[in-house]
Amino acid sequence: MDIGLLGQYLANGIMLGTMYALVAVGFTLFFGVLDVIKFSHGDVLMLGAFTGFTVYLGMAGIGIENPWVLVVFVTLSAVIGTAFIGAVIARYLVLPLKSAPPLNILLITLMLGTAIREAVRLFFPDGSNPKPFPSLLPSSSVELGNFSLRADSAILVGVGLAVIVGLHLLINRTRLGLAIRAVAQDEETAKTMGINYTMIVLVTFAIGSGAAAFAGTMNGLYYNEINFGMGLLLGLIGFSAAIIGGLGNLYGAILGGFLFAGLQTVGAVALPFASAYKDVFAFAVVIALMAWKPTGLIAERTSDRV
Amino acid sequence: MKKSFCWSAGAALVAAAMLATAVPAVAKDTVKIAFIGPLTGGVSANGLGGRNSAELAVKLRNQDEKAKYTYELMALDDECKPNVGVQVATKAAADRKVIGGVTHYCSAVAIGAVDIYHKFGMPAIVWGAVLPDITYGNTHAEVHRVNGTMINQNETAAQFMADQGYKTWAVIHDTTDYGKGHNEYFSKFITGKGGKILGTFGVTADQQDFTAELTKIKELKPEVIFFGGLTPIGVRIRQQMDKLGIEAVFQGTSGIVSDAYLDGLGELAEGTLAFREGAPADKLPGGKFFLSEYEKAGYDQAPEAYGPFAFAAANLLMDAIEDVGADRKKVTAYLNKVENHDSITGPITFDDHGQNTVAVITKYVAEDGKWAVWEDSKYATGERKLAGR
Amino acid sequence: MTAKTLDLPKKSWLGLPALAIGLIFVALVTVYGWLFLHAESEMEVLALLVAAAIGVVAGTRSGATRNVSVAMNQHSGIMNAAIIGGVLVVIGLLSQEHFSLLMLTSVLLYLTAALGLNVQFGYTGMVNFAGAAFFGIGAYTAAVMTMHTGVPPLLILLCGGVAAALIGFVLVLPVVRTRGHYSAVVTIAFAVLFKTFLEVNDVLGGPQGLTVGSMSILGWDFNSSPTLFGVEMSFYVNYALLGTVLAAVAFMFTRRLERSWLGLTLDSVRLDETASACFGIGVTRAKILAFTFGNVLAGTAGALYGMMISFIAPTSFTFSDSLLLVAIVLLGGMGNPWGTAVAAAIVVVLPEKLQIIQEYRFLLFSVLVIVMLLFRPDGLLPRQIRTYIPGWRKQP
Repeated sequence: MDIGLLGQYLANGIMLGTMYALVAVGFTLFFGVLDVIKFSHGDVLMLGAFTGFTVYLGMAGIGIENPWVLVVFVTLSAVIGTAFIGAVIARYLVLPLKSAPPLNILLITLMLGTAIREAVRLFFPDGSNPKPFPSLLPSSSVELGNFSLRADSAILVGVGLAVIVGLHLLINRTRLGLAIRAVAQDEETAKTMGINYTMIVLVTFAIGSGAAAFAGTMNGLYYNEINFGMGLLLGLIGFSAAIIGGLGNLYGAILGGFLFAGLQTVGAVALPFASAYKDVFAFAVVIALMAWKPTGLIAERTSDRV
Repeated sequence: MKKSFCWSAGAALVAAAMLATAVPAVAKDTVKIAFIGPLTGGVSANGLGGRNSAELAVKLRNQDEKAKYTYELMALDDECKPNVGVQVATKAAADRKVIGGVTHYCSAVAIGAVDIYHKFGMPAIVWGAVLPDITYGNTHAEVHRVNGTMINQNETAAQFMADQGYKTWAVIHDTTDYGKGHNEYFSKFITGKGGKILGTFGVTADQQDFTAELTKIKELKPEVIFFGGLTPIGVRIRQQMDKLGIEAVFQGTSGIVSDAYLDGLGELAEGTLAFREGAPADKLPGGKFFLSEYEKAGYDQAPEAYGPFAFAAANLLMDAIEDVGADRKKVTAYLNKVENHDSITGPITFDDHGQNTVAVITKYVAEDGKWAVWEDSKYATGERKLAGR
Repeated sequence: MTAKTLDLPKKSWLGLPALAIGLIFVALVTVYGWLFLHAESEMEVLALLVAAAIGVVAGTRSGATRNVSVAMNQHSGIMNAAIIGGVLVVIGLLSQEHFSLLMLTSVLLYLTAALGLNVQFGYTGMVNFAGAAFFGIGAYTAAVMTMHTGVPPLLILLCGGVAAALIGFVLVLPVVRTRGHYSAVVTIAFAVLFKTFLEVNDVLGGPQGLTVGSMSILGWDFNSSPTLFGVEMSFYVNYALLGTVLAAVAFMFTRRLERSWLGLTLDSVRLDETASACFGIGVTRAKILAFTFGNVLAGTAGALYGMMISFIAPTSFTFSDSLLLVAIVLLGGMGNPWGTAVAAAIVVVLPEKLQIIQEYRFLLFSVLVIVMLLFRPDGLLPRQIRTYIPGWRKQP
């Protein structure tokens, strides 16, 4: 295998890993603050992508054509819209079930995910078919032998990584982040210290959902195709990535995301007999990893929960 | 077709209720026929297209004053899962008021359900599932199929591609029975004609990212990428081929002959090859009629590739009932003798396994945002060239 | 012999003894179940759903529900017999309705599998997202053994359970070592892996699936229709009866387990692993026991399900099917087998009854479940504190 192809695999893997990491970060945030698994996360991501798509259609409809303006508006409106929806979900579906067994939140968000998915399929015009997401970023590419890197991929990875770093700074360097971490560590104490608990939970859900919407839009811009079922597998992988990395830890989520992407790429390339086994391979490694490191690669310590 | 947002499930409920209770103008006996297909989940676009087409057939028949019966369509969702398929097949077959069924898009579901139809003696006409075993794997008199099998499709495809002078292929197929079957038959026929398969890649039906497989394919440098699978991942793979700068011809199967494939890709679709059983709907007089009626009925979803077959199957079933009466045994007997029966997909003749033998295979090429029949395309005249030619 | 402890209401409903009310309740539920399985048109289904809602509210308001609980508590033997009787009556009434019987049997088999999961995470707190995979292992075992061996089918049911347990042992190490969400991901990974593996590997039929032979006991083939008093009944009667036996046995095992010292051990492991270990409870052993027990139930139910459906394919045992099983346990109220029974009926039958709204059915179904959870955050019938002696904490 020549070096160009190796680079290509690496570039693919990094792209995939960034996307997985963004989804995993959402899971980690929710888990940190409320100790819940939010199974609708993948479908919220899909909703974000469709929000962006709708905004694009609207803007293209009124004649705005500058791709940069479009990209910025599409992404921002998807993130903000979905963040709002995330907060609404937290307020009306998650918080009411707070006193119930945590697994019941899993069930309600699971059903919510189905409802979102089916609603988009049924009520978005021709929603059961894949939609062409516009390619708004420059598509010029650099060719080095077998390695071809397109400008849009590079931009997406760059911005994606920037968002992850930004989230990290937000959690660890700001007062809001401090409040989030406080709530994550001890709800009661945080309340006594004058932190508005409900507010913080809502904000956390908004941030997590916003990140998912960003991942969704990124997905659309990269693959130029979105469909109502896109969140299903991404949600599952994001969740697995968050757990392999170690829940409640941003680094863990990032590590898990890239690890999973790596496993899939290696599985597809290196398994000589059949690439169809790559998912079997990736998930088998997950099981083995959990047997080896029962609390994730970066073990959870109560002191540095997000 | 793509009309408007449908705002509430409530409205649909009311509409369904009205549909079910609509009173015919003339007092005729009401006969129920079943439609089974995937109405929810990943491949629901095809199921809904088929459902609408079958519904349209029933609606048109009910408007016909000469018809002896009033028909009622019982549409059931099999979710593309064999266990649910068996469940709804039992529901339809155990209901004595249901005289026959237009059933199944997913092959694994059809395979499981044919035994039920046999057990309960309900005549069924498969409208979309392409696995050969559905008709050839048993001797059930009740089971028929209007569309061709993947054997016919791939034989023609292999012959055509070999004639074009292509030598090397890489195969991507989804790991469902559909993709696996296509892989098996296409590989068999193409190697028989001197083609060479450089690599075969199985992918799951909900996979998003194919860059790893495609990079590997890039390394293999095939002239053609053969894809056995349905529209959603077909769109993704073609899209990502472009991302990686792969220049090979993209050759698909009946699963990507859909408007969604063209809409989903825009200009990238240009030059994609695909093959489908049956004459193209807009080539036959009946087909044009179907498409215009479908447009008029104002459905939210397109009929998709197999809608015309569902329409033809429903009509065939109703023709049988008109002819011999609402009796399952007689309808089965009638269907087994069907020969050169006129339909919008061309004449239907069932062989002793109930398989439609007049399986015309049409070759398609994507041209200017449409699926053009190869013979009429600018590619055939030499005005445009396929990649690598 | 029940875990519910309830102070007796001051006054009994209508002045009737609790047992009488309990029996009336069972009778009503029987009639309701029969009507519901029978309902075809949207009006009937809608009316029955409204009736159920009104019934629940009325029952709670008038205190009848408490009487029923008391009846369950104090006369569990009679009540259990009455409930089994009720199921048999429904089977009898529906004996010629193939489809209704198929649904009823599906409910019973899903119930059996969900009871297994109930032990796993209702009692022991181990989340299992691979329920459908173990169910599928049972079904695939049945497929292979009925077609390729001469083992009597009744034994194959057991083999299905054993196979599920054996394959489950592969997961024992990671599952036992991990907790909570971490063990969830192990089972999720297994659920996805299981389905994908069956699909890409052709040894077990690949994506096309396998045909399963029918059940037979002592030469009586379950796929032939029984005749009683000259009336030919549906062959599904056979499966429904066997399903009832299976569900009843599973139910009995689960309840006995809950009442035993083992059940207490499982509960303490769920509530606090560290504390349990300090008191000398073998946490690992308890977890392995619960995990295996649950898988055996799922596998056994899956084997019979496969025989009844007579055709299986990997797409029947996907991750979303596992989630369906999880939904049954959670909706019913974790740890309460009665709740599991009610939820199994809802989760299996309701989507089917919603066929009348075709493509909108899953949307409506998920919205309905969300609404139910908002009204009853702990599930439909949350588990009560255990009592060992019925009516011990008395009372006027």
